[in-house]
Amino acid sequence: MRARAPFLTTIVTAGLLFYLSDISVAAASADETLVERGRYLVHAGGCITCHTEESADAVPLAGGYAVKSPFGTFYTPNITPDKETGIGNWSDEDFVRAFHQGLNPDGEAYFPAFPYTSYTGATREDLLAMKAYLFSLVPVRKEIPPHDLPVYMSSRLAARAWQLSYFDAARFEPDESRSAAWNRGAYLVRHLGHCGECHTPRGTLGALLHDRELTGNPDGADGESIPNITADRKDGIGRWSLSDIEYFLDLGMLPDGDFAGGSMSSVIEDNTSKLTREDRMAIATYIASLVPLESE
Amino acid sequence: MQAAKIRASGMFIAILGAFAYSVVAIAETTPQDASDYRKSVMTTLKGHIGASSMHVRGLVDGQEFLVKHATGLANGVSELERLFPAGSNVEGSDALPIIWEQPEQFAAAIEKAVAATRKFAEAAESGDKEAIAAAFRDVGGSCRGCHDTFRVPQD
Repeated sequence: MRARAPFLTTIVTAGLLFYLSDISVAAASADETLVERGRYLVHAGGCITCHTEESADAVPLAGGYAVKSPFGTFYTPNITPDKETGIGNWSDEDFVRAFHQGLNPDGEAYFPAFPYTSYTGATREDLLAMKAYLFSLVPVRKEIPPHDLPVYMSSRLAARAWQLSYFDAARFEPDESRSAAWNRGAYLVRHLGHCGECHTPRGTLGALLHDRELTGNPDGADGESIPNITADRKDGIGRWSLSDIEYFLDLGMLPDGDFAGGSMSSVIEDNTSKLTREDRMAIATYIASLVPLESE
Repeated sequence: MQAAKIRASGMFIAILGAFAYSVVAIAETTPQDASDYRKSVMTTLKGHIGASSMHVRGLVDGQEFLVKHATGLANGVSELERLFPAGSNVEGSDALPIIWEQPEQFAAAIEKAVAATRKFAEAAESGDKEAIAAAFRDVGGSCRGCHDTFRVPQD
């Protein structure tokens, strides 16, 4: 009897160890899946384009890119997990609130140069996957200069006042009467990909004119004229097939074989070319379904 | 004597004529001509790329014609390096001054396009669909990269 006790103990211990190691392997692979999903969503969210400085040796997502708008110049923050200069101290709630409510961890309002106006529709699940990916990156210590704004915009209270007038915090609601591809496309275009932030014209104090969705913005950032991408045959892309749209988002090629360049090029590089073909087709499906509107 | 004179003046006229012909044969390309020629070549490249993309996407049949377009593209791109003579940045040209300010950077970008289109032509010849798609992606990347840096952004 006495001889069997250690034997049993060994068996039990071995079994327990095996069980525990199995759990930790499963947990690690679930984490990897989450990080990988987050990496994909960070591309779909177009984060890299704005949160990376324009220099050959810039570290992606360490911020410092200058967004020149009619309301001043904004320097994008460092979103690597550095605890002092990045977002390393952010909780899940801090992260989700930034996207859903447009508020920083101190509860102050962001200026809408950070397109939370679009991101507000993103699911909590997607946002936390993005956070998991960002927190898997090497922290980069990099101080970002303060925004260069006119006096009337120097306080975040101005941003708060803007939110009260123009911001509607709401999650994406699928339209059951449409296909799954259309709904996926709508989610990517309106929310994660925030296409309207450049392609939709703006009215008073920079608020997006949603009834003119994606009809182009002649006064885009950096003085660039942003094209109408509704299905209008004259001003928009009504002559493009779904394949043409998908292919443009993949390679940047216009249907006639030209490569236009401009700010869309970095969107293609950092965002749309990194998506699956299915997601690009979903985007094409949604865009092609927009009401054709002439440019104003 | 008279006959010799006639022969001599005939020879003189022939030499003069040959000289005049050789002058005509060396084209006097104006900056405007250079810009127009560049646009024409670029337009043919655009046509070959648009047509090739429809083959790559499987929207049209006929691999032998993809080979022709891919070869035409590679031939046209091989001419790029001579299409940007100094002073050809005339009004209406989309070429940015950086082309002449950073000649080494520009030459490297063209070298990339030459290599990418040559590889695409080889892939088209092989008929290997995956290789064709991958090579065409690189062609697109080189076109886009070059236009981003060296061409006036288009509306």
